[in-house]
Amino acid sequence: MASASSTFDTAVLTFAHALSTVERTFYKLPGSAIIERYVRSSHQNDPGRTFLELIIFFLVVRTVLQSRTRADRSNPKNFIEFTEKEIDELVADWVPEPLSQPLNDVEMAELAAVPVVAGPNGPHPVLVNTGKPAINLASFNFTGLAGNEHIKQRALETMRKRGVGSCGPTGFYGTFDVHLQFERDVSEFLGTEGAILYSQGFSTISSVIPAFCKRGDIIVADRAVTLSIQKGMEISRSTIRWYDHNDLHSLEEVLQSVEKERRKRKGPLTRRFIITEGIFERDGTMTDLPRLIELKQKYKYRLILDESFSFGAVGRTGRGLTELYNVQASKIDMLVGSAAIGLCAGGGFCAGSNTVVEHQRINGSAYVFSASMPPLLSVSASEGINILRDNPPLLTKLHDNIRAARVLLDQVDCISVPSHRASPIIHLYLRNTSPDSLLQPPSSIPSGKPSNPASPIPRDAPVFDIEKEERLLQEVVEEAMALGVMITKAKRVRGLEITEARPSIRLAMSSALSKADTEKAVNVVIKILKRKFR
Amino acid sequence: MPSGIFKKKSSSTLPADASSYLLALSQADARTRNKVSSSATSTISTPALSLSSSLTASTKDTFLTQADKDDIENIHGLSLPAKPPTSDQIYRAVHTEFGHCSTEEFRRFSSHLPNTPVPKHVDRDPPYYVLLSTYISYLILIVLGHVRDFLGKRFYPKSYADLMPSNGYAPLTSDFDSFYTRRLKLRMNECFNQPVTGVAGRTIQILDRYSPDYNHTQISLGTISRALNISSYNYLGFAQAQGGVADAVEVGMKLYGVTTCGSRLTGGSSDLHTATETLVAKFLGTEDSLITSMGFATNSTIIPALVSKGCLVISDELNHASIRFGVRQSGAHVKMFKHNDTNALEALLRETISQGQPKTHRPWKKILVIVEGLFSMEGTMVDLPRVLELKKKYKFNLFVDEAHSIGGIGKHGRGIADYFNIDPEEIDVLMGTFSKSFGAAGGYIGGKKCLIDRLRIRSYSGVYAEAMSPPVMVQIIASMASIMGVQESELNHSVSSGGSTLRLASPDSAYYGPITQRFLPTWLPLPYELSSGLEGRERLRRLSFNCYYLHRGLDKLGFIVYGHPCSPVVPLLIYQPGKMIMFHRMMKDRKTPIVTVPVAYPATPLITSRIRLCVSAAHTKEDIDEILRACNEVGDVLDLKHGISKKERWTLDEVCGRAVELVNLPDHDWGN
Ligand SMILES: Cc1ncc(COP(=O)(O)O)c(C=O)c1O
Repeated sequence: MASASSTFDTAVLTFAHALSTVERTFYKLPGSAIIERYVRSSHQNDPGRTFLELIIFFLVVRTVLQSRTRADRSNPKNFIEFTEKEIDELVADWVPEPLSQPLNDVEMAELAAVPVVAGPNGPHPVLVNTGKPAINLASFNFTGLAGNEHIKQRALETMRKRGVGSCGPTGFYGTFDVHLQFERDVSEFLGTEGAILYSQGFSTISSVIPAFCKRGDIIVADRAVTLSIQKGMEISRSTIRWYDHNDLHSLEEVLQSVEKERRKRKGPLTRRFIITEGIFERDGTMTDLPRLIELKQKYKYRLILDESFSFGAVGRTGRGLTELYNVQASKIDMLVGSAAIGLCAGGGFCAGSNTVVEHQRINGSAYVFSASMPPLLSVSASEGINILRDNPPLLTKLHDNIRAARVLLDQVDCISVPSHRASPIIHLYLRNTSPDSLLQPPSSIPSGKPSNPASPIPRDAPVFDIEKEERLLQEVVEEAMALGVMITKAKRVRGLEITEARPSIRLAMSSALSKADTEKAVNVVIKILKRKFR
Repeated sequence: MPSGIFKKKSSSTLPADASSYLLALSQADARTRNKVSSSATSTISTPALSLSSSLTASTKDTFLTQADKDDIENIHGLSLPAKPPTSDQIYRAVHTEFGHCSTEEFRRFSSHLPNTPVPKHVDRDPPYYVLLSTYISYLILIVLGHVRDFLGKRFYPKSYADLMPSNGYAPLTSDFDSFYTRRLKLRMNECFNQPVTGVAGRTIQILDRYSPDYNHTQISLGTISRALNISSYNYLGFAQAQGGVADAVEVGMKLYGVTTCGSRLTGGSSDLHTATETLVAKFLGTEDSLITSMGFATNSTIIPALVSKGCLVISDELNHASIRFGVRQSGAHVKMFKHNDTNALEALLRETISQGQPKTHRPWKKILVIVEGLFSMEGTMVDLPRVLELKKKYKFNLFVDEAHSIGGIGKHGRGIADYFNIDPEEIDVLMGTFSKSFGAAGGYIGGKKCLIDRLRIRSYSGVYAEAMSPPVMVQIIASMASIMGVQESELNHSVSSGGSTLRLASPDSAYYGPITQRFLPTWLPLPYELSSGLEGRERLRRLSFNCYYLHRGLDKLGFIVYGHPCSPVVPLLIYQPGKMIMFHRMMKDRKTPIVTVPVAYPATPLITSRIRLCVSAAHTKEDIDEILRACNEVGDVLDLKHGISKKERWTLDEVCGRAVELVNLPDHDWGN
């Protein structure tokens, strides 16, 4: 009896000792106090809950371990202990920078010179700045849909049935019948399985990219993509590789190097994307779509193509690059376009397979977390598509105007025009501030060595004096406005973009202008350029 | 009168418990399926959707649909007010868009009583069995989901094709990332992305649909039904297709069209933009303002222009996705603090300022604290006076997202600063959206002129994004002007309405007075009700009454509701995921259908799934009565009343009968 009880005692003692050791080690661990407090309070309430929470806890741990988007913990070693008094002193000493710098004189003057239209915008708007009508080569009205009476009428009818705002995100009673109609219209127009409508053109691609590209995925992108794409890629936290602007040889080299890297590392198969634009916002150059598709299929990449400036402007009926090159739109995995630019309404869309579209309805931040577009804008966009489909002459006229403008501009020595001949936006670079050779495509640069794909900056980056060129171009813009031609520089947020775009004047062509007016306006610009930079 | 809460399709008496309700539902489903398969060819392309197509629209107008007939016969009890109007009551609004209600008693103002503490939000905890069954529900869902994935991948590889690598392409979504969507959200898809038509006002028209394959696809039935709308962000009831504001929009649209063709800085600015910005600044009481065409983008494109590397953003943990999106783009360092806990904020400020930047310990360039006025999922209100105190001491910059509070709260409807009667210029950056209270779209930033000018040229929106559309701007101008009131030079306003004398410019505020005609475009027609500010004032007072009534009514009935009583967002806690679908369906299947919004993980913590009710000035007291009645009945069936103890509860009749008393209890006497 006694021996039995003594063995029992030792067993209890050993157990108690073991327990206290465990306890001590536990309390040595950082953060253990919190866990203890938590367990204690929850256990007090309900012992069963502790057990369940343990299970949940392990599930969560598993989730976190699997998740590729987990945040880095800050380094506790780097923490400095301060007394309360020291903290108070540090707080008193801290002098923050002002939230914003006031504008300097140049910026102020430029802001004041931004063209403001009195009344409706169109081919011949009246400017608040001058009080006089001007020929409009600045606003996006490629096929002259702005001010179209039929569209206005339909928008009005919609407003009288559905009000103005949608008052809800798409998930929660913000999906109107007309939104679905527009999505069907776009996908039918382009020939894709489906499409999804976002309520702002600019935000569309910044949201589409992170919906698909996650940490660990690979993006191969053009070095001159527009800001919204840059931001989308930044948010995605994917690995980004860059190829030289609009140079598909460079693209292929980068694709090969990525493949080599992967083989070397024997990593798992990850999602891979090529992201580029149809017509580049930055300079109006155009992608060779058939070759791009060939490459993407050969290397098994998905293609995200931003057609904001080609949809509604290029091709016989304005379907964009796919129509121009006669490529099936379904070969582009995510085709992003703007209903605000190409259709003179509002919003943007992403067309693709049903899987691609449905995925965004849950994962596209700007789609999920924002009120849907006002129904009347969606109807305007649908009507825009109908008009484009039924009126090929609208586009013919646009293309004629582009050609007429290009014929004149190509004869001017003091500027260079990087834009493609079919592009509805025409960028003008100043020639005299930098040597000519730098304006050639990078592939023909003699140094010959490829750029580093990990860096957005090309090896032989062209040099230009941003400040000086901006100033000179701004002078041209203001003189043209004084002479009744509304033009604009391509504005940038300097310092916030990954690479700096070369300063340029951006002309936007429109079929709402007659050929004579287009030529007249372009000639005014040319005259100013010639006078200033001869 | 609990009889007949279910529409014709199910039994007319209330089922005794949830299981009998489920049975009724499945029978109803079966009936719907039969109906569809028997007339499959004709239903797929029935009027509902083609209504919108341009080709058929004009002919369809003369064609009386079932929905129109329902409206005329008032099947759902939504087309006509409970009491027919007397001869001296003239309503310009359509009852289905903006409810008729002239009882002066059903009004109040929301404003903070000076020298009273800001009421702390008390979270009520449900009983343990609720927590337990919620955890178990999720556990079952998760385990079942994994088992199905495991088996499915082996036996039905075809249906998992999207999740497997194929042909050298990695799957578009990993099965892990999409687990939640496939295994949890899919089950309740009938509550989401419901297509609608008509005006998102007091009522909304839903396009009926059903799913033949467990929610994988939704098929339109081609019919439309009208439902009471307690889900849209239509706080002031400006979502209207008729009335003074809509008339103004029509005139504006005829004049300006639908687009200004481009971004603000490159040829898309019009005089209407300038006018709107001036008016918005006046409305807010700030020096200047700028507007953008999307609320989400206001945050996501402007925060990066405010902060950058070397700066710190301190953000409430429940801030909206757009704020997180913007902060992530900015490259600034981010820290979060516990929701609405100003002590945690202070502790974090002390730590971060003293520690400086990570690794280098250099001082931060700037610290930007971002909070929301009213939080979109919780309905909680920021303790602005305390945050401003901290701001003085710690010298940070303050950014307040007023998406849900602008227009909705404060004596003059100017949001959080108005509510606390604080100079709005004390807040560095006032952000808000027009898609909620004003029935428009887009967002604004208000602040000092030098800040706004900097943002005009430095935010991505001004440079790249399309400018706001003219009809949207007119909606904003007309609705804001109707809240502010327009002073006609010779008129010395002292107008009587409903027996009480209302002064137009309330003298107690230094910041908000009526505007002069000069703020409005000359072509803009505003009828007297709008320009006098009377209607705007009515809207504010009705909204405030409705918010307090629904909030406190639900509380008195025994539900757990979160948030401040003056918040138009009223989250009603449900907990178990299964009950959310049930709640949604049971509300929708009533004789007077009510549409609701269930929100669950990941928008909320896993455990606190909820129904988010959004109150509007367009609701009448009878509508709120109806919602309370519905919640009360459904709440009993689903066992949702876990709030105050049974002794303290009121019956439905008591709540409805003593509504005015309930609403007028002072905030600080409430709930303790
Ligand atoms: C706090 C907050 N900020 C911003 C937004 C975005 O506004 P919008 O829906 O107008 O894009 C929302 C909308 O849901 C919101 O709740």
